[in-house]
Amino acid sequence: MTMPIDPDLMRDPDQNKRRDLTIAAAAIVVCVVLPFVFPNRYLIGQGVTLFLWVAVVSQWNLVFGVGGIFSLAQLAIFAVGGYSAAMLALYLNVSLWFGMFLGGLVATGFSLIVGLACLRLSGAYVALLTLALATALQVLIITDTTCFMRQGVTCMTFTGGSRGLSRFGDFGFTAMLGRANAPLGNYFLAFAVALAAMLFAYLVIYSPIGLAFRAIRDNKLYSIGRGISSVRFQLLIFGASAFFTGMAGAVFAGHYRAIGANILDTSLLLFLLSMMVIGGLGRFWGPLAGTTALLLFDEAMKELGEWRLAGLGAILLLSVIFMPNGIVGLFRSRPAAR
Amino acid sequence: MAAASGALLAGVNAGRAAEGEVIPIGAGVPLTGWAAADGIEFKRAAEMARDEINAMGGILGRPIEVFFEDTKNQGADNIIPAMQRLIDRHNVHAIINGYNTGAVCAEYDTIADAGIIYIHHNTDIVHHQVVGGDPERYFGIFMGDPAEYWYGEGLLTFLNNLKASGDWAPDNNKIAIITGSQNYSVVIADAIREKAAEYGWDISLYETVVVPISEWGPTLAKLRADPPAVIAVTHWVPQDLAQFMLQFTPNPTNSLVYMQYGPSLSAFREIAGENANGVLYSTVIASLRDEKGEAFNTAYRDRFGADSSPLTGAQVYDSLHYYALMAAIAGGTGGPGEFEQNQKIADRLRSMIYRGVMGTTRFFIPEQAGIPYPDATNDPSMGMPHQFLQHQDYTKEAELIAPDPYVSAPFKMPPWMAS
Repeated sequence: MTMPIDPDLMRDPDQNKRRDLTIAAAAIVVCVVLPFVFPNRYLIGQGVTLFLWVAVVSQWNLVFGVGGIFSLAQLAIFAVGGYSAAMLALYLNVSLWFGMFLGGLVATGFSLIVGLACLRLSGAYVALLTLALATALQVLIITDTTCFMRQGVTCMTFTGGSRGLSRFGDFGFTAMLGRANAPLGNYFLAFAVALAAMLFAYLVIYSPIGLAFRAIRDNKLYSIGRGISSVRFQLLIFGASAFFTGMAGAVFAGHYRAIGANILDTSLLLFLLSMMVIGGLGRFWGPLAGTTALLLFDEAMKELGEWRLAGLGAILLLSVIFMPNGIVGLFRSRPAAR
Repeated sequence: MAAASGALLAGVNAGRAAEGEVIPIGAGVPLTGWAAADGIEFKRAAEMARDEINAMGGILGRPIEVFFEDTKNQGADNIIPAMQRLIDRHNVHAIINGYNTGAVCAEYDTIADAGIIYIHHNTDIVHHQVVGGDPERYFGIFMGDPAEYWYGEGLLTFLNNLKASGDWAPDNNKIAIITGSQNYSVVIADAIREKAAEYGWDISLYETVVVPISEWGPTLAKLRADPPAVIAVTHWVPQDLAQFMLQFTPNPTNSLVYMQYGPSLSAFREIAGENANGVLYSTVIASLRDEKGEAFNTAYRDRFGADSSPLTGAQVYDSLHYYALMAAIAGGTGGPGEFEQNQKIADRLRSMIYRGVMGTTRFFIPEQAGIPYPDATNDPSMGMPHQFLQHQDYTKEAELIAPDPYVSAPFKMPPWMAS
């Protein structure tokens, strides 16, 4: 797969900054105001989903789009963060607030191991290995049947097995804000995580580190020849992209008050991958645009019942054919030749 | 077909036609994903019940409409938004589901906050702990069937009754348990293991197999090395179970073979062929083979085709009828936020007994979960029958061999044991 050259990199940086700041300010205002204009629980819940997937896809975009490493481990990293926070809360009574950061750290450690395992691989082989790791993680959870703790007449396995983990608490917004406003707490927490993840992605993409990632992606041998350590930067990108992904996993667990092995389903993985591709691979605004667009499509397709998946597939197909550079690519004029 | 309960609803409606404002009812069912085949049956059953209820005047003259949301692969992230959407977008007064297994009761808070009625068939013992732990908050949440836990104790009761009847004389008192890795299978396997000694049985083997599985050789070798009186396979996937029978019957042990859920699906008989004959299985939730049940089964197949599965659809069909009747008796339905009216309906659901196509629905209090007969009550009019069935001719439907008075044919010694 050849990554398109981001026209932003060939444009005046100040112009880019002004444009990005304007878009960011508008997006933030919309996200903050929306739940008060439409105080609908379902919409607020969908907002939480949107923010969590934006956080995950923006970090995945760093590895996949910016770094050019075809890793499919992002949902496994997300699950590790979510499971870590849930298990710490369930077994050690660790607050989910604290567990959220610990989940991010555990996810970072896990991602570094994945990065190490992929060091000698490239292209499709990275995809195969990371997909195998994610699948193995799911199978390990599902086949965990050894009784770890008794809950009434049922046996609780360490990971929750195929049933998943639940009743480990939440972020306590019901006590803080009252039952009616509790969803707003989850909404703004997920928003904060997504915002932090996007800000982090922005800093990485437009920093020298981001340039190094792109250099390795576009010409590995040449970049090594110019003194860029591919090992160091590959590990850095795996580690850096995992923290907010793990945190998002923890917020997911706290919001739904449950987490199960189905989070590692390939169908969800492909759905998130589609968000990244449709938004614009390697582009900063791609994850936000792609996630928003696909969730809106998915919402519209719900009226079709069992035909939803077919409708979604058709939209994906048309998007790839008519928008090869993603949604963000539609709004970018070609830079003048220099 | 809706017979007595239908007549009762028509009576409460006092001849009114269903012409008033529509009452929205929700159903969060898996229309896509691994359980989509069952989800389609849940949808069909809800539509069938809706039409019958409306033909009888709806609920106090108001017709009902059912809105469906896809719960996909049944994770918490699928189920909770589906429930919330039904409440917010369609303003549903009740949610009547088949099963959704992945949320582990996490969706209960969404329902409790809205204060509506929710009847599901998740067959999950965790429901007892959650609702029983806070009956006030979860006043409107009911599990329309008994928990999976009862499969364990129910099997032991069945075996002892069979032994006592003289129809079967076991060689020993050993049970070999083979479970899959899914929690449903493990809960049942553990329930058998825990209660076995109390019922006079020893567990000679407890084997967990990684599923899906088609190569049963190592497990069969252990069974043949120490033949038990009963082989209880609590894994449920029909093609895996059919493979077990294909590999077991060429060199069988003198053991009864009991399997969980899978043999009720046509895929089991299609793959196992004549090796399916003699296999026992049970269900705590399916339409009966009696007059009422068969009338439903026939009407369902007439409407949706010979390949449709009324056994699966029955749970939603019964619960929607039950809800409509209780709402009518309580003076009408209540939407989200109308706690007082929904409390009245919940009171009726708790206090009354309903005879549907699956038998009797009556709830444990305060857990609000179906009571199984004969596992938890000796009176067939007071609990939902835990049906034991046996494939006696693989070209036909299985025969219901217990409990009385629902039996359609007596137990028959499996062919591998008779020979």
